[in-house]
Amino acid sequence: MPLLRRLSNSQVYLILALLLAAVLVASASIGAFVFLPSRMALFLGEALGFASAHPGDVLDRNVFLLLRLPRVLLCAFTGATLGVSGAIMQGLFRNPIVEPGLAGTSAGAALGAAIAFVFGNAAVLSPLGAAGVPIAAFVCSLAATMLVYRLSTSFGRTDVFTLLLAAIAVSAMCSAGTGLISYIARDPQARNITFWNLGTFTTADWRGALLVGAAFAVCFLFAAHHGKSLNALMLGADNASYLGVNPEKLILRLIVINTVMVSTATAMVGVIAFVGLVIPHLLRITRSADYTFLLPASALLGALIMEVVDIVARLIIRPAELPIGILTALLGAPFFLRILIWQRNAASGFYG
Amino acid sequence: MADPTIRLRDVSYATGGAQILTDINLGFRAERFNVILGPNGAGKSTLMRIAAGRQAPSCGDVLYGTILLATLDAATLARRRAFLAQHVDLTFALAVEDVVMMGRYPHYRAVPSPRDKDIVTRALELVDMAGRRGQSYPTLSAGEKQKTHLARVLAQIWNEDASAPQRTLFLDEPTTSLDIHHQIQLMDTARSFLKQRCTIIASLHDLNMALAYGDSFFVMRSGRLLHEADDARDISQELIERVYQVKAEMIAEATDQPRLWRFRL
Repeated sequence: MPLLRRLSNSQVYLILALLLAAVLVASASIGAFVFLPSRMALFLGEALGFASAHPGDVLDRNVFLLLRLPRVLLCAFTGATLGVSGAIMQGLFRNPIVEPGLAGTSAGAALGAAIAFVFGNAAVLSPLGAAGVPIAAFVCSLAATMLVYRLSTSFGRTDVFTLLLAAIAVSAMCSAGTGLISYIARDPQARNITFWNLGTFTTADWRGALLVGAAFAVCFLFAAHHGKSLNALMLGADNASYLGVNPEKLILRLIVINTVMVSTATAMVGVIAFVGLVIPHLLRITRSADYTFLLPASALLGALIMEVVDIVARLIIRPAELPIGILTALLGAPFFLRILIWQRNAASGFYG
Repeated sequence: MADPTIRLRDVSYATGGAQILTDINLGFRAERFNVILGPNGAGKSTLMRIAAGRQAPSCGDVLYGTILLATLDAATLARRRAFLAQHVDLTFALAVEDVVMMGRYPHYRAVPSPRDKDIVTRALELVDMAGRRGQSYPTLSAGEKQKTHLARVLAQIWNEDASAPQRTLFLDEPTTSLDIHHQIQLMDTARSFLKQRCTIIASLHDLNMALAYGDSFFVMRSGRLLHEADDARDISQELIERVYQVKAEMIAEATDQPRLWRFRL
């Protein structure tokens, strides 16, 4: 798409932001209850105290403010998290085939979250209180990611097939643990195995939306500083260091930042695979592999596409709802295969 | 002759029980083309990595002028020296000019200045890649890729100011994967960079090329510095035969031309 290459970075961000705003409005209005933009504005005005509430609208208003709005925001924050995470992980592993759902990061987080749901009152976890779920998700997620990274990367080079095999093994271990826990669980969310494996936004509430949003905002601010360093890392650890980057410190710092946001999102919505793979990939083929562009653009495009997929998931088998992970896998897996075939065909891992 | 830019003082390096470098004491000649010679496993690459600050020596010091390398911060060091490896593994689709701009990363925070952009253009012109600046890096030939990285490292230490601080360009077997045309072009370009008051430290396998381009020579074997010479004619047949374990025969010698050698076992 030569048009996209001619625009400046800011113009691309602006276009993506406008599209995202439009899709957010559409997503908030569509569902079992349909809200026109004027009514949404009215409810928002009432909630913020700009207008007095109409007593007749209580049900509609509660559906919109307590169910619809947090869901739309949770979905956007999750999409942004997964998009940025895909870009960061592909930079760290120096390979476009990595993403949190495939490298064990999400599976580890799901295991940690499930453990905290079920054993949250046990002696070790109870002092953590409400923070127990995200903290346990972070710890397990970090362990899984570091394990895959150590197994697949030596001397600054990632071997694709070792990476994929290590990721399969680590993810399988985590999923088995999660499966076992949901089998013995009493908590309805932990009991729901579909929730962990395919992800869903149906359980969205304000607490989850704000938590995922806050984790994303903090992590993105840290990560956005490292665009140049991630670019330098494309040349390998040695060459990055000759450009003034400390590759060992950079990798460790970004793995932690990445794990904080992915594990928070996974604890709230379950494992949603392939989004982190597809988003940076789309941006690379249409515009540039430059990380100073890729990080902000992946956040915007991630939120945008997640929102669109969620609308489809809500509409496709009305009045029921498709688990969102089914759709992301359906759309994302062909991308994965395409990248894999590219890498196999090019001896040097050519990626155009 | 100017003071030595980079000096190694009693440098030794051991890893995994293997002694790679033993008691290296040397000073590279400022604003000259310094060549490190020696067979595979002599410790040339390790010596370069230590001198460039990528690896700390097991004992001994590296000095940049009068400053200890260990006390220089990463960004300052990155503006003082650049390093061209024999092969750079870059598979992502960046434009050629984006790759060269990486050389300016140590010089700006968020947005490149007009001067950074100008230097990128000049570096691309110097390596004869100005017409390819928008092309996607993975589609280049091996020779063009190496020229792109040469432009990148030149841009990193580019400074035409006469009062600019001493800068050093490391070349680690830079011509290994290149055809003859690109080999000569790369060596000529690197040598022309001496005009910017830059010091070059190169390890080279091709002895004839080393003698043709080098000013000063450091001959290594088994992790030790065997011989230093400031004239290609001081590299004797006896030394070549001892260091490389070959029979050497001079096939051309003229007073104003570098010697040419032929080798056999």
